[in-house]
Order: sequence, then structure tokens, then C-alpha cells
Amino acid sequence: MNQRAQQHTTNRRDFLLRLLKGGISIGAACSLSYWLYDAAGPGVAREEKNLVTLPDFSLPSLKGKMSIVTGVDRTETIRRALNALGGIESFIERGDKVLLKVNAAFATPPILSATTNPQLVAEVARLCYKAGASSVVVTDNPINDPASSFALTGIGEAAKSAGAKVLVPKKSFFQPTTVSAGVLIQDWPILWQPFQKINKVIGIAPVKDHHRSGASMTMKNWYGLLGGRRNIFHQDINTIITELAMMVRPTLVILDGTSAMMTNGPTGGSLSDLRQTNTMIVSTDQVAADAFGATLLGKTAANLPYIPKAAAAGLGTADYEALKPIRLNTA
Amino acid sequence: MARTVSKTEIYVGYTILIFLVVISGGILLKQSQYNPAIFKPTTFQPENPTLTSPPASSQSDLMQYAPKSLTALTPPEVFGPENLSDKINGKAELYLSAGFVGLVSQRFAIEDEPTAWMEAFIYDMGSPRGSYAVYSLQKRSDATELDTGDFAYRTENALYFVHGSYYVEMVASVAQERMAESILAFGDNFTRKTTTGNEAINEFLLFPTKYLNKGSISLLPSDAFGFQQFDSIFTAQYEMGDTELTAFLSQRQSPAEAARLVESYTSFLREFGGTELKSTLNIPGVKLVEIMDTFELIFSRGRILAGVHGAENRKAAEELTLMLNQSLAEKGQ
Repeated sequence: MNQRAQQHTTNRRDFLLRLLKGGISIGAACSLSYWLYDAAGPGVAREEKNLVTLPDFSLPSLKGKMSIVTGVDRTETIRRALNALGGIESFIERGDKVLLKVNAAFATPPILSATTNPQLVAEVARLCYKAGASSVVVTDNPINDPASSFALTGIGEAAKSAGAKVLVPKKSFFQPTTVSAGVLIQDWPILWQPFQKINKVIGIAPVKDHHRSGASMTMKNWYGLLGGRRNIFHQDINTIITELAMMVRPTLVILDGTSAMMTNGPTGGSLSDLRQTNTMIVSTDQVAADAFGATLLGKTAANLPYIPKAAAAGLGTADYEALKPIRLNTA
Repeated sequence: MARTVSKTEIYVGYTILIFLVVISGGILLKQSQYNPAIFKPTTFQPENPTLTSPPASSQSDLMQYAPKSLTALTPPEVFGPENLSDKINGKAELYLSAGFVGLVSQRFAIEDEPTAWMEAFIYDMGSPRGSYAVYSLQKRSDATELDTGDFAYRTENALYFVHGSYYVEMVASVAQERMAESILAFGDNFTRKTTTGNEAINEFLLFPTKYLNKGSISLLPSDAFGFQQFDSIFTAQYEMGDTELTAFLSQRQSPAEAARLVESYTSFLREFGGTELKSTLNIPGVKLVEIMDTFELIFSRGRILAGVHGAENRKAAEELTLMLNQSLAEKGQ
């Protein structure tokens, strides 16, 4: 018994040695933790070599242009609206490679106006080719199954009929981007591949009520470029729309207010959700286009927080009248 | 005398240390690739998403409700709370706040006319209150009322109805009579083949019927009138001469909770610039607040929280408040 007790006795020398070893171990662990500590948090301090950035597709000489045309026939109103700004040739030159970002979010019929009208897509594609575009690509990353969405909305067929190429998103089409002045779009995957070799971008969106943001128009339309688990952005919808407008500087935007979804957006469902507002808006200022679009929904720009927010960020003006929009009536 | 360490102990010690180093390396590698866009916190998700979607497999096959005129255009799709937004995007929050459990949807086409198609959406809202909430909040004003299910209406191209805890939408790609007949038949088949519980919504009966705009009763599942503590609030529209008014009521857990909500909602209104006025109504504890040129009247009666919201005419609001109080008394509240 005494012998066993003696074996477990620690002398002063052993104690100090163990204390030293223990101290070195703790110190090493703390140093390692300090060395590995990422003060900036995940996603922010990533290497930026893999990040992509969409180029600025806007034309400085055509800044702040806007036309508003009333009429029931979209092919007529879009032509008149573009002509009022000098014609499509002012925006599209010979050899241009054009991307049309449509809203094909849902696999719903065109009659519901929850997606971009197919006739409008076809007409814009035709006009681009007429102006000398060498290629026209139509794309979106729909909420619903992409193939069904392009088929059932009629956008796929309409685009093809006008000679445009429809790019249905695939996993390999996405690359991460960061909006430098943003807080939400940090290292986030966007639909990147369709923008390869593109030098002109036109956004085409319908005017819709939206349960979260109050309205879905040209700025919200860029939401369809996001990949990943993008629905988490609905928690801060006004900020994400503003950042999307920072991310995409289009050549021009087309806001189709021919048939506006007044209630139950963004999906709608009933024809009674729609009102014939018979207005086509073309602008190089997406904030101004949305500010005017708000009026078609019986709202003001101030009712939609992302509009003043985008204006404050220098992305355009909420005072669309300041642009002296050209107004025409085809009736 | 120092304790000797056996070789076995040394090997075991080194093995554990190597194991810990491998784990640390794995964590470092994984963390270096972290991206919230693709990260999924699996601990908060069921292993099999379909498990959260209550419609049983037999109910997921919506073909069983389709009349002979319709043929399946696409297979059924099943969604749960974790992926509802993949189907209806920004409208998902409306359903989730009302207790959404699962959705089955499927498209059908008229057999000899494939461009004429419709999509059926069967939402299981977990309770008749949940299904009524989403029904009432999306109800189209210029619709034709029907007797399909518990509540129903149709528009030019669609049919909407509540059947127990199910909220059903049928949306057609065309506005034509043949399609309308098909979706009505589909709806009838669904209500006939789907059994539901007998849970009634008693609050409907508590509103006074005089001046009531029939069919205007809505259920706000959460954040009613912008006040976070107001959940499960029923509202009803009244037309008193030229004045339109909104009455509301909610059955709470206890009289104490109802009384507390009267106080906290009054404080909330004051916080946002409201002025509390002295009410002359003979209702114990009634509060009257003027805010942005409108009047709010709030009171409790037993477990019922009730009042009139956003009235432009004080006199009419007070009259409706008295009617509401009287109606609650007559119905034993």
C-alpha cells in the first residue's frame, strides 16, 4: 500500500515540469486560435480572385432618358416608346451582342401577366436584330422549374420565333459576385454565363403587385439573376432590390404596364387581379421607370421603400418628371 | 518516484492526438469554403422534405379528382414549409404565417385542346382557420360566390375555395366555359372525396349582422394593423350610410390577456402619434384613440378583444362599437 502511494507521489521537479508543459500547450492552443481567428467573418474575407463583376452596360450619353406611351398593343407601344428616344438604333449598334433579361419566374400562362409578355419579348428581339445586333440572348433564373417556366409563359417560343437564343440556367452558369457597396450580395452566385461576350443588356419586366416589396418592376426583375438560396433575401427585400440595381447597370429597361397586376402578386392567378393600365415605359433610368410604374399600381415612389433607397444610393431618380419623359398616345 | 507510462498509453495518446488533428483539418477545410448561398443548416431541416408535406401519397395524385375532360399535363409537385417559396416566391410568407403545412400542385389540360390548361393548388393549412385566413386575404372583390366546399368563389379563369383545413386554387390559362366547367367538376370531386373535421369558426357569428358587408369577414393571422401582438384577428366591413367601417374581434386565451392587449395596443397607437380621447361609451375599459385623422376604438369583453379600426367618422365608429358590444353580449360572451 505504502509503495503504491509512493509511486503516485509527485516531487517538486515533476510538478514544475508538468506545469511548464501544460502552460506551453495552453499557450500554443491560444496562439493557434488567434492566428486562425477571422475577424471579418465568413464570406467577407474570401479571396476575390474567383468573384465576377457584371460590367456597366449603360450608355453615358443616353443617361436619364425616358418615354411613356399609352396604348393597348404592345408591339405598337414599344416601337413608339423606343422611337421617342431616337429609335432602338440609339441603343443597339451593328454587331452588338444583346441580352434580354425577362421575368420568367413562374410556369404560368401569359394571360396572368405574372411574367414578361412573350409578344413583347419577340418584338424587342426583332428590333435588336433590325438594328444590327449580331446575337440576342433571352434568359432568367425562374422560381419554378426553368424549362416549364420558359415553355408555359410562351417566352421560349416567342424568343425563338424572333431568332433569339434562350438560355435556360444550369448549375455551371453561376459564379459568385460581390456588390462592393452592398451588404447582402457578398460572394453570392449569379447567373453569369449568359453575360459572356454580351455588351448590351435590356431588362423587360411587367408591372406587378408584390406581397413583400409592394411592387415588382424593373429593379426587382434582376432578382432573377440570383442563384443559391435567394429566398432568404425576402427578409430584407428593400435592401436586396437596391443592391440588385447596384449590381446591374443596364443599357435600358422596359416596363410593361399594359396589364398591371394590382393585387395578389407576385403570382396573381385570377384575371380579376389585373387592370388594363395600357402603358409602356422605356427608360435608361431604372429608378425613374419604377417610380412611374408605382403610379400604375395606385402608389407613389415613397410607398415603395426601395425606390427612395435606390435614389439615395445614386442609382437614378425617383422624380421621374425631372427627366422630362416623352409622352405619347397610340390610341 | 515518477509514474512510468506504458507504450500502450503512449500509442493511444498519439492516436487520439492524430485523430483530433484530422478533425481540425476537416473543419478548417470546410470553413474555408463557407458560403451562405449554398450552406444549408441540415439540423433545422427534415431528412426527407416530403415528410413535412401532410397530403398523403394517395392525395398527392390529383388525377383522382380530375373529370374526364381533363388529362394530366405535368406530374404532381409537393412542397413543404421549407421550399414553398420555390413555388410561389414572395407570397410564401402569407401562407407560412397562417400555419401552412404542405402544398400539392399539378397541371391538367383539356384532352383535345392542350393549350387550354389549368393548375390545381391544394394547400393544407393545418386548420380551418389557416385555410380561411389565406382564402379571405386573397379574395377577389368582383367574384361570383359558389357553394363548393365551405367558402368558394370563381372568377373569369379561376376557382378558389376552402374545404376544412384545405385551401384550393384552380387557375386556368384561358377564360372559357368548357374549362370553367372542368375546374368546377374538379372542385366538386375534391370536396366529395376529401373528408374534413367538424371544427367550426365561431367568430363569424359574433359580428353584428346589421350593416355588415356580407362575405367581407377576413382573418389576419399575424401583425394585424401593424401591431405584432395582434394575431388571429377577424375583421369585417360595414357600410353605414356613406361611411365604411372596419370592425374587428379576436378570441384570446383569457380575459386577462384580452384586457392586456387593449392596453398594449393603445400604447402602441400613442407611440406612433395617437392621442387618447375620453370615450363616453358605456363599455367598461373602452379606449378611444385618434391617430392620423382616424379613430380607433378598442375594448375587451371576457376573452374577446374587439373594436373598430381606422374609422374616419367618430360617431359612426362609436355606434358600431356599441353594436359590436351588444352582439357579443347577446351571444353569451
